[in-house]
Amino acid sequence: MDPNKLNFKFLDHTADLGIIVSGLDLKDLFKTAAKSMIKIIVKGKPAGKTNTVKLTVEGEDLADLMVRWLSEILYLFEGEKVVLTDVEIESISPTHLDAILITTSFDPSLHEILCEIKAVTYHQIEVEKKDDHWEAKVIFDV
Amino acid sequence: MDIKLEKIDNYRWLIPKTGLMRVNGLVFSNAELIKDVQGDQSLTQVANVATLPGIVGHSLAMPDIHWGYGFPIGGVAAFDLDEGIISPGGVGYDINCGCRLMTTRLRADEIRPLMKNLVSALFQNIPAGVGSTSTIRLSKSDEAKVVVQGAAWAVKKGFGTIEDLERTEDLGAMEGADPSVLSERAIKRGRDQLGTLGSGNHFLEVQVVDRIYNSEKANAYNLFEGQVTIFIHSGSRGLGHQVCDDFLKQMSTHRSKESFELPDRQLACARLKSDQGRRYLAAMACAANYAWANRQILMYWTQETLLKALSISPRELGMRLLYDVCHNIAKKELHTIEGKETVLCVHRKGATRALPPRHSLLPEVYRNVGQPVLIPGDMGTLSYVLAGEEGAMLNSFGSSCHGAGRVLSRTQATKKAKGRAIHRELEDKGIFVQSRGKRTLKEEISEAYKDVSQVVDVVHGAGLASRVARLRPLGVIKG
Repeated sequence: MDPNKLNFKFLDHTADLGIIVSGLDLKDLFKTAAKSMIKIIVKGKPAGKTNTVKLTVEGEDLADLMVRWLSEILYLFEGEKVVLTDVEIESISPTHLDAILITTSFDPSLHEILCEIKAVTYHQIEVEKKDDHWEAKVIFDV
Repeated sequence: MDIKLEKIDNYRWLIPKTGLMRVNGLVFSNAELIKDVQGDQSLTQVANVATLPGIVGHSLAMPDIHWGYGFPIGGVAAFDLDEGIISPGGVGYDINCGCRLMTTRLRADEIRPLMKNLVSALFQNIPAGVGSTSTIRLSKSDEAKVVVQGAAWAVKKGFGTIEDLERTEDLGAMEGADPSVLSERAIKRGRDQLGTLGSGNHFLEVQVVDRIYNSEKANAYNLFEGQVTIFIHSGSRGLGHQVCDDFLKQMSTHRSKESFELPDRQLACARLKSDQGRRYLAAMACAANYAWANRQILMYWTQETLLKALSISPRELGMRLLYDVCHNIAKKELHTIEGKETVLCVHRKGATRALPPRHSLLPEVYRNVGQPVLIPGDMGTLSYVLAGEEGAMLNSFGSSCHGAGRVLSRTQATKKAKGRAIHRELEDKGIFVQSRGKRTLKEEISEAYKDVSQVVDVVHGAGLASRVARLRPLGVIKG
């Protein structure tokens, strides 16, 4: 895995959009998943004022945590018109995550919307440890 | 799950009850379509739905079935009010995604030379595409009123007339909507999207009636060969998506407290009698009403655009709403089960209600011929108008298909479209298209979808709804 690139690829799904994300550890996986989703939604260089937001997410298990985590990031964009530009996962367990988000306000002169994601689904959701890395499979309703 | 299919007749296949299934599955299809159906997990999803408590009759699949989240798309399931459940996944993220068809006095040959300009004008005036926002600014009190009054709110604000409501399913407003159960998030996501078309497979299409199958019903629907019609396909936008998301997560958290197993997380549900179930129904009704207001506004703006672009009077245009149907919804309806009339909660996810002639919920004007069932084709393909028949009430809880359903993923479609000028191909077929999204045209090529004519053949052959008219696109706008 190239630590300088976002490690994700598209997953073929008839009706919607899926991705497979990789990370060296859980923190890296959740960070990459969030940034990958934003990359699918919006294109543009971050510029202008940034804000720092703390976010805590809880879930029943890792898969649930992933869906809820990405749903929060999605809502920030869809509801609050805020684009995630960077993220640091401070702590993570199978049922709890604390993160610091660096965000910027959506600006149509700087950002181009590529895709509308309606929701992050539980459909075929997977978060699994492989030999030397973690992998997640997520399907979005588009 | 290994799914066994038993052919009943040319249009119906049975999935016999096994394992945790409480009822059989029943798939409406034909010999050709059933092969595609067996290619993905949609039949497993039909079987999974059959495990849900309080399910009545069969777990049904319409001929345009394909796999979705929990429930398949094209799935219909009815539940007893006492023991049964309500599942947001059985309605879909786009609550009251649906369509409406408008008829006009115009003939296609009169406006064909102007079609390119007309499509441009519609593209200018109708907000569509990712990130599009509406010019409508809702006050806080309006936000609460829209989700309760639905299409009637739009009419009160000057978007259309009261006659439109009679020709809208549920008169354009579902009962039981309660804005207090909507999350702040759902309200925020919907705040500036009222009066927007959306993206993906949503569209606004100018069409010509190119074939009449049943003159009597076509007359009742005010359809004639060569006539210009307009089709709008859109839903509840971000508000509906957030409602589904909110409640799926709540129900997912509470599912471990229930005594039944869920074979799929996305089937998260709550008992209809429970507080959570009631709250979802109230929120779902809000989203449904928002969608009806949305389509009412889009219709009004379409009329305005046509009048200006064609320089004709409203009387010359003669635009009239034929009907508006939803195809992602759950409704409490009266059905006859083993000779007894019972109220059931019918989930239709990618399925359309199809009421037969003489049904009490039909507007007077359609009482003799049955409910118009509108089946949109996808970009560049045929659409159909059908009429609900008694077979639907007997066999599918008054339900029919909703469209074609995808067979190719967006990646596969884009690959297939590589190097092709899709908008030029469509123009060669006499169809002018404008879309906002750069990838939309490639992702939405007709080969990406099932053959809608085959889907309609099954519905007609199985007696759920009968063919009335076929519509061919002339101009399309997409997001």
